Amino acid sequence: MSTQVTEQTETETEEQTEEQSPGERRREKKEQLQREREQEKSDLLDEAEETVELKIFRYDPEVPEKEEPRFDSFEVPFFEGMTVLDALIYARDTYDSSLTFRHSCRQAVCGSDALFINGKQRLGCKTQMVDLEWPIRIEPLPHQEVVKDLVVDMEHFYEQMHAVEPYFDPDELPDGEREEQRQTPENREKVKLSTRCIWCGACMSSCNVAAGDNQYLGPAAINKAYRFAMDEREGTDRKEDRLRIIEQEHGVWRCQTQFSCTEVCPKDIPLTEHIQELKREAVKSNLKFW
Amino acid sequence: MAEHYSSFQRGTWRWLFQRLTAVFLVGALGFHFVLLHFVNHAAEISFMGTQARMDQIGYFSLMVVFLVTAAFHGINGVYNALINQGLKGTQRRVVAGVLTLAGVLLVGQGTYVALHMNGFL
Amino acid sequence: MSSSYDRGTVESFGRWQEFSAGMWAWVLHKFTGWILIGYLFTHIAVLSTATQSPEMYTDTLQGLEELVIVRFLEIGLLAVAVFHILNGVRLLMVDLGIGLGSQDKSFYASLVLTAVIALASIPTFLGGVF
Repeated sequence: MSTQVTEQTETETEEQTEEQSPGERRREKKEQLQREREQEKSDLLDEAEETVELKIFRYDPEVPEKEEPRFDSFEVPFFEGMTVLDALIYARDTYDSSLTFRHSCRQAVCGSDALFINGKQRLGCKTQMVDLEWPIRIEPLPHQEVVKDLVVDMEHFYEQMHAVEPYFDPDELPDGEREEQRQTPENREKVKLSTRCIWCGACMSSCNVAAGDNQYLGPAAINKAYRFAMDEREGTDRKEDRLRIIEQEHGVWRCQTQFSCTEVCPKDIPLTEHIQELKREAVKSNLKFW
Repeated sequence: MAEHYSSFQRGTWRWLFQRLTAVFLVGALGFHFVLLHFVNHAAEISFMGTQARMDQIGYFSLMVVFLVTAAFHGINGVYNALINQGLKGTQRRVVAGVLTLAGVLLVGQGTYVALHMNGFL
Repeated sequence: MSSSYDRGTVESFGRWQEFSAGMWAWVLHKFTGWILIGYLFTHIAVLSTATQSPEMYTDTLQGLEELVIVRFLEIGLLAVAVFHILNGVRLLMVDLGIGLGSQDKSFYASLVLTAVIALASIPTFLGGVF
């Protein structure tokens, strides 16, 4: 009996190998590729002339061993042109697939990988490893609650962004249905830098005032307000409305010109300058009512 | 969250007056230091000398304005520092009241002293 | 987000070594501001002796000036006031939107100038006390 069964299975296996379905073939190929890649990775580690130590903040309320925040060290090979995000991806793919961080476009456009790298808010994808002191310490953005590892809760940041009504809203629409709403080159130049914001939250995280005063709109939201308040196409009524939002107690007046936001902004937006200009605009519009 | 705020004018005026008083204080505090430490040596100050200065109406009124602006600038600065720490609600109103009272007492006492110095009282 | 980790405020002032120029300027401006408003209250209190009698006023002030510690405190007060004035001017410029690009340099300049003025005034302040 037993021999028969063995024979049967053997035959079945043989048949399967002969008549392998395309899916199975693909899976096998993938597995082989995976093995090769892993081999390549360990080769990489051997080949690389230098390795960098990453000290990464770990925390996960759902895993008992990670409930207490700690730092994990990872050794990654260094290659020319390597960014911090590259290193993180290497560490995750090679050592610990549970290492969690946000990233998407990898080219400083999506704004999802703002991290606290060596004590400063930076974009992981825009920060070159060579520009940093090694070992590299990577933490989630300060002043935001940590959800898991390097992922912070951005909800409050988004709320502040939405509070300034960040959308184009002109007083009057052009007469023609398909007529363009043209902006003068000078006016475009004025708002140009403010339009660069990628909502990464680095500025808000660096701001000492925003850390203490939860209601403070914060640099990103005020910059957003600047972008539309200074847009001449919107008209004076809308500008008044916008100024009224940002000149609230927890609006522009809370800015103490520490320049922290301006220094960390990965898109080099002169945030402090924009906030200061809005303060002056607010004072001017208040004086006008007299 | 960020949408409901108290009246808007206060923040604007407090900010503006903090700057306007600052401009005045830069000059006044500099003048005060130079006059009472370099022109007149602090160790040689006597009531006679003080009275002689305070008898001039210009100097007297400058000192009173100096006191009022310094009190506003300083106390408003303290208030701002406390708001930075996240002071709000009833606590904040109480602190505002206490600070205003302290400022009024300071200016009151200061003016009273000044009137003694120029011999009015 | 029922369970998320709040690292508290340690992460801001606990990292004072990483502060940049603008942040230091702010910290020092607040610090000197607290000293100045504190001094204003004390100042008025001491001058209040004038309401008692002219003699008491003269005696109190001259008595205080005889103390070496008071002379040193006065130098400290001068340094505090000078820094607050210079950095205050820097902040007024920032408010007017002038020279924001060199705000760090103007902070260092106000520090150096404060030191120079304080050092230069030591002879004047200590004169006659030793």
